[in-house]
Amino acid sequence: MNKIDNVSEKELEIISEVTEQASRRDFFKKTAAYSMSALAAASVVAPVSVNANEHIEANAEDDPNIMEEKPWSLKFGDDVTVNKYGQPSPYEHNVTRRTTPILSSGNFRASIAVTPIQDLNGIIVPNGLFFNRHHGGTPTINPNEHRLMIHGLVEKPIVLTMEQLKRYPNVSRIHFLECPANGGPEWRGPQFNSIQFAKGFMSCAEWTGVYIKDILKDLGLKPEARWMLAEGIDDSHMGRTIPVDKVLDDAMIVWGQNGEALRPEQGYPIRVVVPGWEANLCVKWLARLEFASEPFYAKEETSKYTALKYTGKAIQHFYANEVNSVITSPCPEKPWTDLKKGDMIEIEGLAWSGMGTISTVDVSLDGGKNWKQASLKGLVLEKAWTRFSIMHEYTGAPLLLSSRASDDAGHIQPTVKNERAAVGIEGVYHRNGIHTWAVDAKGVVTNVQILS
Amino acid sequence: MYKSYHKKLVASTLLASVVFLGTACNASNDTKKVAKSEVKAVAVKMDTTGFDKRVVDAVGPANALVSDTVKKTYGYNGKLVIDGGVTYPIVNGKTGAYYVDPEAHTTAFNKGKTATANEQKAWDIDVMPDGTGLPEGSGSVEEGDDLYEEKCQQCHGDFGAGNGLYPKLTMGNAYEEQKTLKNQRTHPDDDGPKRAFGSYWPYASTLWWYIKTGMPHQAPMSLTTDEVYALSAYIMSINELTIDGEELDDEYVLDRKKFLKLVMPNVDGFEPKINGPKGEDNAREYFNNPLNYGNGVRCMKDCFEGAPVVQKIKHAISDFTPSLNSAKTLPKVKADVKPAGPGKADYEAACAVCHATDAMGAPAVGNKKAWAATLKKGIDKVYDNAINGVNGMPPRGGSSYDDAKMKQVIDYMVGASK
Repeated sequence: MNKIDNVSEKELEIISEVTEQASRRDFFKKTAAYSMSALAAASVVAPVSVNANEHIEANAEDDPNIMEEKPWSLKFGDDVTVNKYGQPSPYEHNVTRRTTPILSSGNFRASIAVTPIQDLNGIIVPNGLFFNRHHGGTPTINPNEHRLMIHGLVEKPIVLTMEQLKRYPNVSRIHFLECPANGGPEWRGPQFNSIQFAKGFMSCAEWTGVYIKDILKDLGLKPEARWMLAEGIDDSHMGRTIPVDKVLDDAMIVWGQNGEALRPEQGYPIRVVVPGWEANLCVKWLARLEFASEPFYAKEETSKYTALKYTGKAIQHFYANEVNSVITSPCPEKPWTDLKKGDMIEIEGLAWSGMGTISTVDVSLDGGKNWKQASLKGLVLEKAWTRFSIMHEYTGAPLLLSSRASDDAGHIQPTVKNERAAVGIEGVYHRNGIHTWAVDAKGVVTNVQILS
Repeated sequence: MYKSYHKKLVASTLLASVVFLGTACNASNDTKKVAKSEVKAVAVKMDTTGFDKRVVDAVGPANALVSDTVKKTYGYNGKLVIDGGVTYPIVNGKTGAYYVDPEAHTTAFNKGKTATANEQKAWDIDVMPDGTGLPEGSGSVEEGDDLYEEKCQQCHGDFGAGNGLYPKLTMGNAYEEQKTLKNQRTHPDDDGPKRAFGSYWPYASTLWWYIKTGMPHQAPMSLTTDEVYALSAYIMSINELTIDGEELDDEYVLDRKKFLKLVMPNVDGFEPKINGPKGEDNAREYFNNPLNYGNGVRCMKDCFEGAPVVQKIKHAISDFTPSLNSAKTLPKVKADVKPAGPGKADYEAACAVCHATDAMGAPAVGNKKAWAATLKKGIDKVYDNAINGVNGMPPRGGSSYDDAKMKQVIDYMVGASK
C-alpha cells in the first residue's frame, strides 16, 4: 500500500499549494512526469508469467496473448489524478491530423491539417482531430478580453462580452464543416493515395451556440441590409460576406464543440457556423459582424474560394458544399489485404450534403456501371455526416468501388465526366464527383477516377 | 426587412404553437401524420438558355420538394433558398430532427451594450469597392518598390514573382493574362489559367484591405496608410495595370481618388452578379439551377458502355507530415529536451515565417540534412550570410536585429536542427 500513500501525499501537496499559479505549475509538471512513467511502464517487455494458468500447458495453436499474463493485469494502473484531461491511449499516437507543404501558402501558419477519417467511427470527430485550416496561425485569445461587435445597418449597434453572449438561449446542432477545396487537388486526376488527404478537409461535430437571428431580434436589422461581414481578430483578420438570407435561416455563433469549449484551432472563444456552407465562411476567432447593403469582397472571396469554369468565368459566393460521399472502409489506409476469398465484409462510408439531408447512397463494385442502394446507418441529420453500409462477399477479384449520394434538395453526385463537362478542370473548389477506390487481387486499395 | 421578418416570425410561432397544441391534444393522429409525411421530389424544368449542349446533357434535373418538414423556400420572405438547397421550418415543435423551445426564438433578450462611435471606428477595418473604408492618403510606385524589397520580397520574391509556395503577386500584364482564364490544362504541357491580383481579382479594394490588415504576414496592421498606398501602387505597376489610360511608372503617386478610378480587367469575370438590390436574388436564381455547377443522374444499371475508363495516379503527392502510419505502437520516447536558447523567441518572431518549412527553399529548422549542408560553409559564413543576406534571404531576414541577436538566433536554429 506504499504506492497509494505516496500518491496521496503528492495529491495533498497539490491541494495544499497556496497560490493557484503555483498549483497549476506543479500540476502540469507532475502530469507530465506521470505520463512519461506510464509510457515507460507500458514499454517494458512482458515477463512470461503463468500465475493462475500454471496448471494449463499451452499448445502451439493456443494464443500466447491468452495463455500468458500481461503486465497490465498484474499490477496497479494509473490512478484517477494521472490524466486530469484525458488523452488517447499511447498506442493510438499515429492517429493524428496531417499536412503536406503543397497545401500551404508558403508556411504552416497559412496552411491546413487534415482529418484521419480512415481512423474515425460514427459521425462525430474528436476535437483534437478536427480538420484545421487557418491563414495566420492559431492565436491564444484571452476570453475575458474578447468582444463581439455587431454593427452596420442595424438600429442599435452592440458589443457583447463572452459572458453576455452565452446568456442567449443556446442551440446544439450536429453539422459537418468542409473546406470547399476538399478533393480540390484532384480535378485533373487523382494525386493522393490516401483518404486522409483525398477527402479529409472536413470534420463533423456538435456545435453549441446561438442563432444570429435570435440576437438580431433586439437590434433592428434595417430593410436595406442584404449582406453580413463576419471578421476574425487573429493575425489574418479574415473576413467573409454572408447573405442576410442565411443569417435569418440557420447561421450560428458557437462557443461549444462536442460539449466543451471550442478548441483554439477551431476559433476559441467563438466562431461562426454557417451550416452546410464552405467552412471558410465559418469565420474563427470572431470579433465583428457588420451589415451592409452591398457585398464586401474580402480577400478570401476573390483571390481564393472562387471556382473558375471552362468559360473563363468564376463562380463567386459559391455557398453550399454539394452532396458528396466516400467509402471509408476499405480505403488506401485500411485495405483488404487480410481478407480471404469467401469472407463477408462491410463496405462502409460517409455521405454529406450542405444543401440538406442525405436521402440515398448507392454503391458500385464496377466503377459506376451498375449500382446497388446501400443502407443508411445511424443518425441521418441535415447538413451532417451520414454513415452508409452495404455487405459484401469478398471474392478476391479486382473491384472498382464507388459511392453516389443524393440529398432531399434533389441533388445527386455527378460522375467525374459529367462534373468536368459542367465546370471544367480548373475550378479548385467544390469538387463532388463520384469517388472511386480500385481494389486489386491482393486487397490493396488505390485512389482512381472513372472517366466513363 | 426587420419589420417583416419580425412579423413573419411571430406569425410562424403562432402557427407552430397551434400545431404543437394540436399534437398534444391528439398525439396519436399527429404522430401518424408525421410518420407518413414523405419528401416527394418533383422534377423542375431547368432554364437551359445560353448553356452549351454538352453541359445540358451532362447535368441531371433539379427536383422541387413537397413535404411538411422540408421547404425549398424561406418562411420569412417566401423566396427560394439562396444556395439551391432546402430549409427546415419549425413544424410540430421541431426543426428537422431537432426539438426547439419556440419561445427561445421569439423572446427579445437585449444583451450587451451599445457600441460607441469610437469603438466602431477602431474595429471597422474593411475596405469596399465603392471606397467605403478607404482613407485619404498617397504613395508612389518608387516608395512602394523600396518598401516591397524591405518587407515583402523575402516571401513574394523578386518583382512579385512568388517564392516557393508563397503567392505570386503578378503573372505578367494583367490585361493579357486575363485572357488565359479560359485555359484548361487537359494535357500536361498546356498552360493553365493565370490567376493573380491583376488578371483575376475583380476589385482593387480587396488588395488595399488585404495589405492593411493581413500583411506583412508576421506583422499585420503595422503599415501606415501611405505605405499601403505605395505598396498598392507598386503591385499595380508590376501587374502593368493602367489608371485612366495612364501607366504607373516610378514617379506615379497613387491617392484615394486615383485608386477608385482603377477598373480591373476581370471585373466582369464572376457569376452570379451579387451587386445591387438584385444581388441576393441573382445568387438565388443561379444556385437553384444546377446547370451552373453540375448535378448527377441516379442511373442504376448499365450506366455506360464498355469497360470503365480508369485514370490512375500519375504524380503522387506523399510528403506528408507526419507520414502515414496506421500501426498501433508506442511512440518513441524522446530524450530530455534541452531548454530553448535565448534565440528562440526572436526566431519565432522574424525567421520562422520562412524557415519553419522547406517549402520556401530556406533550410527548415529541424531538417538535419539541410543544416548539415549549410554548416559545411562554417558557422562564421552562416552568421555572415544571415547578417548580410544570401540568395532569396534579405539582410537579417528582414528584421532589425543587431549582430549579437542574429548570432543567438542562428545558434538556436542550428541547435534545433542537430
